[in-house]
Amino acid sequence: MASSLDDASPPSIDAVTENNLQPFFVLQKGSLRKSERKSSGTGKTRRRIDLSPALPKNSENPEDEKEDENMNLRMEAFEFVWSKIKSTIKDVLRDINTSVFSEIQSWVHQTFDTIRSLGTPDFLEATQSFPVITDANSRKLFTGLVLTKNMEFVDDLMTFDALGKHLKSQGCHVANLSSLDFIAKNGIGGCLRSLLRQFLKSTLDPADISILASWYGEENYKNPVVVIVDDIERCCGSVLSDFILMLSEWVVKIPVILIMGVATTLDTQRNILPSNALQRLCPFEFTLGTPAERMDAVVEAVLVKPCSGFSIGHKVAVFMRNYFVSQDGTLTSFIRALKVLEIGRYGLSPEVMWKHVFNLPSCQRVKMTKQTNESLAHAFSELKRLQNQWRAVVLCLYVTGKGEKVRLLDLFCEAIDPESYNKREFATCTKLEKDSILSPSSRQRPSLAKGRVIFEAIHLVRDLSTGQLGKLLKIWKNLTVGIPEINDKVKELQSLLKIEDGKSSKKDLIITPKRHASRIQLDNEKDSKSLSDKAANLLECMVRDYMQPIECIPFHEIFCFKNVDKLQLALIGDPRRRIQVDLLEFQKLLHCSCCISGSNALLPSMHDTSIMYKLAQEHGDLINLHDWYQSFKSVVLRPSSSKRKSRQSPLPKKRKDINETENQSEASTQARFCRAVTELQITGLLRMPTKRRPDFAQRVAFGL
Amino acid sequence: MDFNDPEEEEFGFSRNYFLAKELGSSGKKSARKLSDINVVDEQELRAAAATIEPKHQKDIEALINSYKSLYPKWVFELRCGFGLLMYGFGSKKPLIEDFASTALTEYSVVVINGYLQSINIKQVIIGLAEILWEQLKLKRRIPSGNLPKVQQPFSSRSMDDLLAFLDGPEMEENDSFICIIVHNIDGPGLRDPETQQYLAQLASCSHIRVVASIDHVNAPLLWDKKMVHTQFNWYWYHVPTFAPYKVEGLFFPMILAHGSSNQSAKTAAIVLQSLTPNAQSVFRILAEHQLSHPDDEGMAIDNLYSVSRERFLVSSQVTLNAHLTEFKDHELVKTRRHPDGQDCLYIPLATEALQKLLSEIG
Repeated sequence: MASSLDDASPPSIDAVTENNLQPFFVLQKGSLRKSERKSSGTGKTRRRIDLSPALPKNSENPEDEKEDENMNLRMEAFEFVWSKIKSTIKDVLRDINTSVFSEIQSWVHQTFDTIRSLGTPDFLEATQSFPVITDANSRKLFTGLVLTKNMEFVDDLMTFDALGKHLKSQGCHVANLSSLDFIAKNGIGGCLRSLLRQFLKSTLDPADISILASWYGEENYKNPVVVIVDDIERCCGSVLSDFILMLSEWVVKIPVILIMGVATTLDTQRNILPSNALQRLCPFEFTLGTPAERMDAVVEAVLVKPCSGFSIGHKVAVFMRNYFVSQDGTLTSFIRALKVLEIGRYGLSPEVMWKHVFNLPSCQRVKMTKQTNESLAHAFSELKRLQNQWRAVVLCLYVTGKGEKVRLLDLFCEAIDPESYNKREFATCTKLEKDSILSPSSRQRPSLAKGRVIFEAIHLVRDLSTGQLGKLLKIWKNLTVGIPEINDKVKELQSLLKIEDGKSSKKDLIITPKRHASRIQLDNEKDSKSLSDKAANLLECMVRDYMQPIECIPFHEIFCFKNVDKLQLALIGDPRRRIQVDLLEFQKLLHCSCCISGSNALLPSMHDTSIMYKLAQEHGDLINLHDWYQSFKSVVLRPSSSKRKSRQSPLPKKRKDINETENQSEASTQARFCRAVTELQITGLLRMPTKRRPDFAQRVAFGL
Repeated sequence: MDFNDPEEEEFGFSRNYFLAKELGSSGKKSARKLSDINVVDEQELRAAAATIEPKHQKDIEALINSYKSLYPKWVFELRCGFGLLMYGFGSKKPLIEDFASTALTEYSVVVINGYLQSINIKQVIIGLAEILWEQLKLKRRIPSGNLPKVQQPFSSRSMDDLLAFLDGPEMEENDSFICIIVHNIDGPGLRDPETQQYLAQLASCSHIRVVASIDHVNAPLLWDKKMVHTQFNWYWYHVPTFAPYKVEGLFFPMILAHGSSNQSAKTAAIVLQSLTPNAQSVFRILAEHQLSHPDDEGMAIDNLYSVSRERFLVSSQVTLNAHLTEFKDHELVKTRRHPDGQDCLYIPLATEALQKLLSEIG
């Protein structure tokens, strides 16, 4: 084994330059894992061979080993937690899709029976390598159109994948095709090859559908064949129509059922496919849940409910929300953001964390007097308790507003805002004073400073009928089971409601003269009104007293990810802006002493490309190369004060020397100019002169 | 970036663009020519370019060294399944290779030099498959024990097969992967959509992790959301180095060396010197005509023929045409339509360049 590892010898300088011109090269072959090395007896000698001399790192160093171990532990922890989150998300999404999936599945089996009822090919027909010739009626291709209601097809990749798996588990033969299989360049051969690979697990050239037919005839004739195309809008129309025509010719031999994802409208296929292909389709329609619904389900399962002992700060939540709503729009990226956050948690070494646990700002705020393990344990259990309360209130608000398009993501962002919580606390103090003076009607005004969504949810309660209120209270009761403070109040309301119910039903029984009827009804309404008011007040009170955002609780830093910049940097590189900033404000990164930062003057000591880019800012969209060069030259050759002194007395004797050095400096200035232009070209900030405009380069970026 | 106000930002962009446009067309546009610069000889220029005195060497070194503290984090993120995408001004080649050779010693590392003009992605994938095959054989200790036998050499397999092999089932020890370093994943050799698709598929393979760098400000436009979120799975790192783009810039023409009138006059002279004296003289007639009639569209073919014939340079239209074909092939002469409908010949060189050329061949 060691011999094969030996060829990872240190590259010589020649080899390096040669490697730079190779399209690709092997930098190093993987050595043994450190853990393995340790376990093997001859590890010590082997290690010496493995490590190229260029590496000063020595794994015999105990600190290194500790670090390795630390890393492995962190890795394990991450994998444990992340797989839990991942499976939670998967379950949630599966639950959302369950009904559609089972609908599709039963349709598939029904359709299969229909196709079979048209007749099965006899032995002779089945063994022929051409389609059975039948009437046009039996050349229909049953097609399920799945409306995804989502322009972002990325999210639906998961869905169609899951659909494929679901159908497979129900005994269907399933192939998933993507738009990449339907490109004009590969023609119909591309999708056929993909089909053969997925069904037959082998690739045969040339790809021929008769191979598929014989495969189906041989062993698999009892089950339907399902072909899923995830997004037909991205497929090449002509290839797709060829594919459909071909499948429909063979449908008696291979009972294919097509399932196609559609993002926009269900009649999209009319725009993509020609009429002869359309005629062959026999479409059925299905609809998936909206992205927002899926989003809410994921937020509920991962961020609101306890899933991984992991929570996020308000700013992070707002960033993620805005990123989802106005920038990326995919659940996939949201999940990715969660993963980035999760990794961030393991970036901190736990030892460091524990050392400073009592110095955390949130802890200092409350001025904990005793810094013992018990007080810490107490603080943690308190944190957990408060979190449970918070969770219950958020979920209560969510179920209240669910029907009225209150989005959990928005609600979550508001509920987790420490600022508005602090304000809220303040507001309630003053409000209590005011309440004693003001009439009760003023209570209905929003007492919440910022909570628009929260207020909306509370407001909704006021308009509920008795029946609806009863249902809602029941849900509330279940949600607040672990929190007696709230639970009791909910129960109290429930019993009040029951009494009220009893009263009204009694009233209904009593036969009343007509003229009283309207008044009683009015009374009823009033009663239920006051009840729903009570419920609304309860909810308001819950929000006020029990919904303490995690960032207001001591020691939250341990569980709560607050660094929004870090997340943003990892998730959205912004090369266009940042590369320009690098050039314009390079002093901030290099921290050099020679270029005074903050001053706008161009100094000869600055980075050449930086000087050039700053100069370019003074030009319009076109830069005259001559002018640019001259100004660059004047900047870089500007003598610094010390040089000027020596130049004051030029000796005529050295005329020739000076000429030569001038010539040299001219050449080097030109070379520097060339290099700076090339570097700007590499960054894409500059377009080279064209034949039409040989003396002008073009600026590409305007403003950051 | 201010997320709350994307509209304002967009507005800013367009406003800046039009301001710049206005600035360019407000009459201030300089008419000076590149050829006014006294450009030194190309050889001298290249020699000077090779010996440019580096600035801020220490600061740059310190900056690059400061990234070393991130290495363990990068390894961790790679192991967690992310791809690392490095951007920021300056060559990141030394940085990434240093990272690989100090922090990724346990893994095989393959480098793709995306800044080169042409890269055969299939060759790369074949190479990767071979390395993985070797690695799996080593891991199992028993060569070709549980593993399926290679039915055919990797070089004759299809792309899909190769990718399927690299995307094989996870090992019990699930982070045995090959790390691919792609310098300039936005480079000229990798820029086409097909290659990017293959790279994305490659990046999503279970046995592959990618560390890549980009330099172009618009590089993210190469990828759609599927590629970014589910295949490459980028974790962005802003790591400006300010190191010179030595290798990366190797294939870019030097702006003062190529394409300038100087240069084309020089190549024209070389071409002309290889032609017969008669051909040279025909060219001279054309050049002199152009110099004496600078505002004309060019010289009519009939005119050129009669003058050439007078001077006994050509005997027939056929010989003249032979010369002209030669000129046109080397882009010494072009034709354009005169307003009165005649085809005219002209030399696509500036006046001063043409004078220089005549003096050189004369």
